Amino acid sequence: MNTAQLRERMQAVEARDLLRHPVVLSLLVLVALFAAGNVAAPGFASFGSLTNVLRIAAFLGVIAAGQTIVILGGGEGIDLSVGKIATFSTVIVAQVSQGQDERLLLAIVTAFAYCGLIGLGNGIGVAYLRIPPLVMTLGMVGVVTGIIRVYSGGQPEGRAPAMLSALVNGTTVGGIRGSVWIWLVVAVFTIWLLRGTTFGRRVYALGANRRAAELSGINLQRNLVLLYVASSLYAALGGMLLLGFAGAASINLADQYQLISIAAVVIGGTTLAGGVGGYLGTAVGAVVLQTMRNLLIVLDIPAAGRQVVNGIILIVLLSLYGRQRRLRQ
Amino acid sequence: MAFLAMRGVDKRFGGVIALRDASLHAERGEVHGLLGANGSGKSTLNKILTGVVAPDRVDITIDGRPAAISGPHDAHGHGVAAVYQELSLIPDLSVTANLVLASEDARLGFLRRRADRERAAEVLGRFAAAFPGGNLPLDVPIGNLSPGEQQVVEIAKAVARRPNILVLDEATASLYSAQVEVVFEVVRELKAAGTLVIFPSHRLGEIFELCDRATVLRNGELAGEVTLADTSESELVELMVGSLARPAGRGHQVATQERAARLEVSGLATDRLRDIDLSVRAGEVVGLGGLAGQGQSELLNALFGSTRVRQGTMEVDGRPELPRHPKRAVTAGLALVPGDRTREGLLPVRPILENLTVPSLRRRSRFGVLSHEREREAARSAAEQLQIKYGSLDDGVMTLSGGNQQKVVVGKWLLTEPSVVLLDDPTKGIDVRAKQELYELITALTTDGVAVLLNSSDDDELLGLSHRILVFFEGRIVAELTGDGLTAERLVAAALQVASA
Amino acid sequence: MSPEQTPSTLQLVRDARSWLLRGRLPVATAVALLMVTLVANLLIAENFLTAFNIRSIFANVIPLAAVAVGQTVIVLGRGIDLSIGTIATLSSVVTVSLVEPLGLLPAMLVGLGSGAACGLVNGLLVAVVRLQPIVATFATSFVWSGLALYVLPPGTAAAPRMPDVVVQGYRNSILGVPNAAWLLLLIALSWLVLKRTALLRHVYAVGGDEQASYATGVRVVRVQIMTYVVGGTYAAFASFAMLANSGSADALAGGNLTLVSIAALVIGGTRLSGGAGGAGGTIIGGMVLQLLTSLLVALRPPTDIRQLIDGLLVIFALALAGLWSSRRGGR
Repeated sequence: MNTAQLRERMQAVEARDLLRHPVVLSLLVLVALFAAGNVAAPGFASFGSLTNVLRIAAFLGVIAAGQTIVILGGGEGIDLSVGKIATFSTVIVAQVSQGQDERLLLAIVTAFAYCGLIGLGNGIGVAYLRIPPLVMTLGMVGVVTGIIRVYSGGQPEGRAPAMLSALVNGTTVGGIRGSVWIWLVVAVFTIWLLRGTTFGRRVYALGANRRAAELSGINLQRNLVLLYVASSLYAALGGMLLLGFAGAASINLADQYQLISIAAVVIGGTTLAGGVGGYLGTAVGAVVLQTMRNLLIVLDIPAAGRQVVNGIILIVLLSLYGRQRRLRQ
Repeated sequence: MAFLAMRGVDKRFGGVIALRDASLHAERGEVHGLLGANGSGKSTLNKILTGVVAPDRVDITIDGRPAAISGPHDAHGHGVAAVYQELSLIPDLSVTANLVLASEDARLGFLRRRADRERAAEVLGRFAAAFPGGNLPLDVPIGNLSPGEQQVVEIAKAVARRPNILVLDEATASLYSAQVEVVFEVVRELKAAGTLVIFPSHRLGEIFELCDRATVLRNGELAGEVTLADTSESELVELMVGSLARPAGRGHQVATQERAARLEVSGLATDRLRDIDLSVRAGEVVGLGGLAGQGQSELLNALFGSTRVRQGTMEVDGRPELPRHPKRAVTAGLALVPGDRTREGLLPVRPILENLTVPSLRRRSRFGVLSHEREREAARSAAEQLQIKYGSLDDGVMTLSGGNQQKVVVGKWLLTEPSVVLLDDPTKGIDVRAKQELYELITALTTDGVAVLLNSSDDDELLGLSHRILVFFEGRIVAELTGDGLTAERLVAAALQVASA
Repeated sequence: MSPEQTPSTLQLVRDARSWLLRGRLPVATAVALLMVTLVANLLIAENFLTAFNIRSIFANVIPLAAVAVGQTVIVLGRGIDLSIGTIATLSSVVTVSLVEPLGLLPAMLVGLGSGAACGLVNGLLVAVVRLQPIVATFATSFVWSGLALYVLPPGTAAAPRMPDVVVQGYRNSILGVPNAAWLLLLIALSWLVLKRTALLRHVYAVGGDEQASYATGVRVVRVQIMTYVVGGTYAAFASFAMLANSGSADALAGGNLTLVSIAALVIGGTRLSGGAGGAGGTIIGGMVLQLLTSLLVALRPPTDIRQLIDGLLVIFALALAGLWSSRRGGR
C-alpha cells in the first residue's frame, strides 16, 4: 500500500469516526429535522424560525448544563430536582423584585443563594449520607414543592422586572433575542469550566473511575457536593431566564424540565455512566428537542398524536447512540 | 481426531491481536495444561470455548462434531463448563442458588428448592474439606464467604453441570494449600470419570503435578504442545517466553544504612492488620512478602488513607502524618500504585493526558484555571521518562497495551514528586519488557532518594528489587529478611511459617 | 493461630451481621417506619380507627402498591421504568372504554394485555436495543400517555364508567375486612408466588451481576424483557384499582404514580442498583407513604406548610432507607 492509499484510508476512518461522534450526529439530526419541517411547512427552516427555536431552547440549555455536570460526575449521578429548583427560582425572583428593576439584583442574589442551599442539601445527602442520587433528588422535589408553597403562600406574586424581560426578550442584530446571547455566554463558560479548570478535570475523573480518582488525591465528597450545588445554580439561572420570558411566576413554571433535561444530556452524547461527554453535545441536544417540539406544533397534529410522535422520535434519537455495551465482547 | 479440537482461532480487540491462528487439541480423561505469559491469549482462548468472547474466526469440534458456540448457553449445551479468573458468582444469592443458577430444577417455571438444595449439597460435598469443619455453607449468601471459599464454590458450580469439558482458569489463585489439594482431588476424580479438564495456570508446580499434556501460547500464537512427563521446567519456560530471558533486577544493593528514614510507622492496626512497625529510608526499597492476601495490600492502602486505620502513628520525613483520606496522603508526599489497574488506577474512558495529570493538577493551575501548555509538557515528560509508547496524548488510555497502561498509572505519580512510593503488585499482568522498564524506574526513584514500599506476588521480583523484605502472615509482620537472608528459601519458609532450614 | 478453632464462632458472628446488613435491616427499617407512622396516626388522628377511614386508606394504597410491586421487579433486575404510571393510565382508559362493548371481564383482559404489551416494548428497547432504561422509558412514557389521550380524549361528553358493582365492591368488606385489604393481600401473595419462580431467581441474579449471570448461562436479555412485562402487568392491575376507586378513567391520572412507586420501593429496602430487596418491603413502603399522607390530613397544619412537611417526611423516610441500601459497595 503506498502512502496516498494509506492517507486515503486514514481519512476514511476519520470520517467514519466523525460521523459516530455524538455532537456531529446530533447536528445531522437537527439538519434533518429542519429539512423535514421545511417540506411540511415551508419557512420552517428560515433564519427567523431558527432564532425562535434557539430563543426557547436557551432555557432548557441552561438548566441542562447543570444536569450535564452532575451526570458527567458519574456514580449514577442525576438531578431530578432541577425543574423544581428552576421553578423556585422564578418564584423568588418574581416575589423579591416585585416587578421593580431596582430590586432585580437583590432578587437574583436571593434566588442563587436559596437554590444553592438546596443544591447543597442534595450534595450532602448524596456525598455524606450516601443516598442514591435518584432518590435524594427525587425526595428533594417534594421538599422544594413544599418550600415554594410556604414561600409563596400557594399563589406566587409579583412578576418579572421590565429589565429582566428586556434582557431575555430584547431583539438584537438579526432579530436574535437576548436569551440566545445569554445562553451563548453560559455555554462558553460551561465548556471552559469543564475543559479548562481543575474542577472540570475532577468531574471527568470522578465520572470515569471514582475509586481511581479518589486514589489520585481527589476529595470525593467535597467535589460531589460541588456538582449538585453547580447544578442547582444553573437551574436557578434557567428559572430566571424563563421568568423573563413568561413574565409571571407560577408554582410549576419550570417543572417540565425535570426529565427533558436528562434527555438533552443523553442525546448530546453524554453517557449516564459518567466520564464521557460534554456540554457542547447537550446544547445541541437542547436545540434538537426544541426543534422537534416546534415541528410537531407546525405539523398541527392533535395533542395525543403529538405526544406519541414526540416519544417515538426520542426513542429513535436515543437509539442512534444512547446504546450500551453488549454483554458478549 | 481429538475429543476437543479448536483450530485457526483469530481474535482482535480493537487494534490489538489477542489470538492469531491459535489451536488446542485435547482428549477425554486428561488434564490439559494451558500455558503462556500474561497477555499470551490464554484467557481469550478459554473464553471463546466457553462462549463469552466472540472470535473473529474459529473452528471447534467436540467429539468429532462441529460445535457452533455463540454464547455461554450454547457452550453449556455442548457440555462445556468454566471457572473464570473473575468470579461469576452473585454475592447476594445463597451458595445453593449460585450453585444451581441457570440450571435450576423447575416445574412449570416454579423452583423446586428442596431438589436444588440436595443437588447443591451433593456437589459441594465433594469439596467439604475446603470449608472450616467440613460444614457446607449452603444457605449463606456468597458475599459472606472468604475469597478462597468463594473460589471453591465457583469450581463446584462448574462441576455441578457435569461437564464433558471443564475449564479451570487460574482457579487456584486465591486458595490455601489445603483447599488446592481438595480441588486437585476432585479434578483427578473427574479425569478418572472421563472428563477433559483444561487447566490454564501460571504455577508451573501445579501444572506438573496435575496435568498430562499442555498447550503453550506465546503472543497469541501456538508455541508448542508438550507431554509434561517428557518436558523439563526450563524447556516449558523457554517455550513460554521465547528468547526473552527472565529479567534480573538484582544488583543495586546500595548501602542505605546511614540515610534518614522517610517513612516511619509504629503500632499501626486496621481491621485486618496488627502491630505494624516499619521504617523506610531514603533510597531504600522495602519489600512486603508472604502468601497472597496476608495484609500487604491492606498496609499500603492504610498508609495511603484509603483504608481506615484503627490505631498507630506514622511519620513522613519526620512530620507526623496519618492520612484519613488519600488527598491528605498525596499532599504529604505519598503515592500509591494500586493493585487493580483498571478498577483503581485508570480513568478508562479518559485520554492518556488526563490520566497522567490527575494527581498533580494543582501544580499546573492558578485559582483552579489550568495551563494546558504546562500540563501537556508535564505529561509528555512523564511519558518520555517511562518510555510509554503512545500515538497521541489525547488518545484514550485503554488504547495502550497493558504494560503501557501500568506505566501511565506509575507515571502520574512522578509528576507529584513524591517522597514515599507505595507499589502494590505493580508488574501484575504486564509483559516482560514493560516489567524491565518498571524495574529500571524503581531503581531510578531510589537513586533520587525516594523511599519505596513494594508488594509483589512474584517472589523473584521481590527478592531482586528489595533491600529488605518484611514477611506478612495473617495481618502481622512475622519476619524481616535482610542482607544474606534475602533468599527464595528463607522467603518461602517465612511465608509458610515453617522453621527455616 | 489454629484456624480450626475459631471458624464456627466467627462464622456465626459473620452470618448474624450479614443477616442484618444484607437481608433484613432494610426491611426492619421499613417495618419500624410503618410502626411509627401507625402509632402516630393512632395518637393524632381521632377518626383513624373508623371503618370508613381504614377502608379508604386501603382503597387508596392499592394502585400505588400494585405499581410499586411491578417497579420492584424491574428494579431488582437493574432496570427502572419511568413509564409505569402512564402504562397504568393507558390500561385504565383501554379497559373502561371496552367495558360497554365487550363486557367487564374481556375488557379487563384486554387492559391486562395492553399493560403487558407496553412492558414488552419497554423491555425490548432496554434489553435488545440496549437503551439506557431511564431515558428509554421516559421516552415511551410520552407514547403511552399520548395513546391514552387518543383512546379517551379528556372532556369527552359521555365518559365511559365502570359498572357500579365494581365501584361498590371495592369499598365493601368481607368478614369485616375491607375488600381493598384483601386485594393488598392478593398482591402480596402474587409476589410470594412470583418469588418461587425460576424467573425471579434469575432477575435477582441479573440485578446482582449481569456479566456473571450471562457467563453462567442465564438468558439475561430474556429475563430483562420479562421484568418489564411483569411490571407492565402489575401496572394494569393498578389501573383496575384506579378505575374501581374513582369509577371512571382520567387520561392524566397515573402519571405521578411512577415516582411515588420508586419512593415506595426505596423505603421498602430494595436496592436501586438491583439484585437485593423485594416486594414485601415495597408494600410496606407504600403503606408508610399512605399513612404519612393520612397523618398529615389529621394534623391539619396550615395548608401552606403541609406540603413542606410532607416533603420533609418523605425525604426523611427515603434517606433512612436509602442509607441502608447504599451501604453495600461502600467501604
